[in-house]
Amino acid sequence: MSDALRQTPELVTLTVNGSVHQVQLDSRTTLLDALRDHLELSGTKKGCDQGACGACTVLLDGKRIVSCLVLAAQCEGREVTTVEGVTVDGRPHAVQEAFCRHDALQCGYCTPGQVMSAISLLAEGRAGSDDEIREFMSGNLCRCGAYPNIVAAIREVAGQEATSR
Amino acid sequence: MTALDRVDAPLKVSGSAPYPSDFTLPDQVHAVLVQSTVAAGRISAIDTTAALAAPGVLAVITHENAPPLADLPMTPLGAPPRFPFKDDRIIHCGQHVAVVVAGTHEQAASAARLVQVSYETAKPVLDLDDPRAEVVDNGWGMEVDVGDAEAALSSAEITYEETFDIAPEANNPLGLFTTLASWDSDRLTVHDCSQWPIMTRQALATAFGLPESDVRVLVPYLGGGFGAGLRAWSHTLLAALAARVVGRPVKLVLTRPQMFTSVGHRARSRQRLRLGMTGAGRLVAIDQESTAALGAEEDNFSAVVLGTPHAYDCPNVATHDRQVRLNIPNPGFMRAPGHAEGNFALESALDELSYRVGIDPVELRLRNFAEVHPQSGLPWSSNALRECLQVGAERFGWRDRSPVPRSTRDGNWLVGYGMAGVTFGWYAAPCRARLSILASGTAVLKAAATDIGTGTYTIAAQQVAELLGLRVDQVRVEIGDSDLPPAPQSGGSGLAVALTGAIQVAAANLLRALLDEVAADARSPLRGRRLDEVTASDGRLHLIDDPAVGEKYADVLARHGLDELTADGELDLAAAAADAGVAPAGAFAARFAEVRVDEDLGLLRVTRLLSVVDGGRILNEKTARSQIIGGTVMGIGMAMFEEVAFDHATGRVANATFGDYLIPVNADVPDLDVVFVGGPDAFSPTGVKGLGEVGVVGVPAAIANAVYHATGRRIRSLPITIDQLM
Ligand code: FES
Ligand code: FES
Repeated sequence: MSDALRQTPELVTLTVNGSVHQVQLDSRTTLLDALRDHLELSGTKKGCDQGACGACTVLLDGKRIVSCLVLAAQCEGREVTTVEGVTVDGRPHAVQEAFCRHDALQCGYCTPGQVMSAISLLAEGRAGSDDEIREFMSGNLCRCGAYPNIVAAIREVAGQEATSR
Repeated sequence: MTALDRVDAPLKVSGSAPYPSDFTLPDQVHAVLVQSTVAAGRISAIDTTAALAAPGVLAVITHENAPPLADLPMTPLGAPPRFPFKDDRIIHCGQHVAVVVAGTHEQAASAARLVQVSYETAKPVLDLDDPRAEVVDNGWGMEVDVGDAEAALSSAEITYEETFDIAPEANNPLGLFTTLASWDSDRLTVHDCSQWPIMTRQALATAFGLPESDVRVLVPYLGGGFGAGLRAWSHTLLAALAARVVGRPVKLVLTRPQMFTSVGHRARSRQRLRLGMTGAGRLVAIDQESTAALGAEEDNFSAVVLGTPHAYDCPNVATHDRQVRLNIPNPGFMRAPGHAEGNFALESALDELSYRVGIDPVELRLRNFAEVHPQSGLPWSSNALRECLQVGAERFGWRDRSPVPRSTRDGNWLVGYGMAGVTFGWYAAPCRARLSILASGTAVLKAAATDIGTGTYTIAAQQVAELLGLRVDQVRVEIGDSDLPPAPQSGGSGLAVALTGAIQVAAANLLRALLDEVAADARSPLRGRRLDEVTASDGRLHLIDDPAVGEKYADVLARHGLDELTADGELDLAAAAADAGVAPAGAFAARFAEVRVDEDLGLLRVTRLLSVVDGGRILNEKTARSQIIGGTVMGIGMAMFEEVAFDHATGRVANATFGDYLIPVNADVPDLDVVFVGGPDAFSPTGVKGLGEVGVVGVPAAIANAVYHATGRRIRSLPITIDQLM
């Protein structure tokens, strides 16, 4: 048997939604699997495990990434934010509320990833027009086809932010 | 009320709705599947030594050591999927050949790569025209032959004959299909991506020789299915088998590539369509023949031409339905199976004929409108197709188009308008629902139905609230559990009709039970009253004529010392349909599309898409609209992107990832306009018609017809690709 198969678990320190966790992980464990299988944060979803669907989108140091393409061990010393960590004082994030109002979801499986991507998109200043929203949300697949409602939800939050600025 | 936010939206946006893959059980271990790399032949040897020796591995199960399972029962949708661990034969690439169970997912995945399988390969049958292929003619008895299509074609003023090709598509729900199986002595519980818990329970019970009451299938949330969750696929059985072998709960999550070969797909199909028409644009003959792929040794209920016979008024109709067995993973159901494909041919052909007879495409459909059901001659229970066409044409600005192909430009873009009519099928299955009023005065609904993103939780809660006079937040809906009263599948666009109908019966039974309870209660203002004298609002039952005379549910239950009052409702619409004196109707629709084609680059963009839909009574405009836009997006995928590429030599899926198999992304989809017309259906007890699938149908034809209008190129194969437009 090759040495590559003899994986000894490593102790990894992860900071997720402001809390510090120490977990024993196989060094092959992705951030996505660490969240779902070791930290009981199953809000982040796996749609492909290949970086192609966006269901696993989280924020790493404030920027959106697909957590299936990052090893958990690479995240030591960095801030991970998941869908469980975006509520504000126990209240849903404005993006989450807008998704509910606009029915920007159906089965809901892509939704945590869409929400995280949308939050990041707004922070990136990429919600200037519907076309811009569509383009910069295109890394998040929705097989249920909620796209027009996702755009409407983000447009609304972007508008509110624009007026409150 | 009717545009209520989806009741489960807060759970979904916060990531707290539990999908099958989100459950974890104490002591749970992980299974990973090994799949065949050849399409036909047999396993000559399977060496599991290295895998068994790998760290954390608990078991490797193959056909050689798998405990035997009993054959699965027949289903209303045909023979169950073939179970691959029965013997050493390989009938398609991607067939499951081993299950590796280990302590962690990483260990199982890594050990799965060490399983050495040797094959004795045979030459696979992969082509619809391969003379070696077994052909199933009219396998479902759904062929229609009325009048004399052949004679009518030979004497028709105008005749048409063309062939249409549609690529296989994969359902690809975003949620990876998962089974988490656990045994408690001889009781089996599975969390499974099933759209039909009752069917999955029956399959597992039969396979393992258990009474159905000892099997429980749970699926409170499902990450989409689109038909993929309508069969007892072998990975579900294998997870349960693995859990039995290792004596611990086993979680099995299919990978995205495995999703292409394990849970069905829309079969590749080819249709030959012949039409006869008068110079005035009246159809006199339809002869439609489809040839669709089928898995070797498998069944698949999918008649491509099933929607054609009742789409328009035509005296002579013949349909032919052939299936050809190939060494491919068995197709299955994909949203609007048959209807989506058959409509593409028929509605493309009508567009072609509209140019030949010089009649506007909308007008041509109106001239052929079926006032009554064309075969039975019975009046429709509802049919607003005419209104769909008229409202759509008006709203879309159809009459503003110059009908001449290639006559509209915007810079480099050729602009085209296209449309299609849609007649969906009717389907209903028996359903039971259990409704309770609790001591608190709130209500609980229970049924073994599922919400696959369709909005079942929401419309059920709304309906119970309306019937019992409660607020929606006073209603708890429990579904997604096979222990609950039996309900049909989320499939065939039949659940909303059956479930709301059963809820209506249950609510009446419940209120009757309440009146029985107080019949001799001197303290009840409702004593001695009949059901037809009362109505409910604000959590109380009261007289219709005098709302002051009544009382709260909570008061009745408290006075009578009841924790709850419960009644079941049962409905079998298919049985009732036989002598209803009407033809029960499914949804109707008209689709209007605007496309732009870059002449030099062949780029195709859909820039506007309007759907006008007759869905009967609309219970919730938000979730109903979402069903239509979701179907429309899938229709855009069918029209423009989706194709499972089976390698012609090996039968391997060459594009089994989201990077290679394209589905529409946000930037591919314009704003979608949806309008509902028509009124409550006269046969459906709640006036509701199913909306889950009609959204797909007609989109490919509307887009292809718009492409013709833009470019003068008639595309009769899907998906429409750049090379066809250059
Ligand atoms: S699961 Fe990470 S991108 Fe699909
Ligand atoms: S809501 Fe189902 S995949 Fe987006």
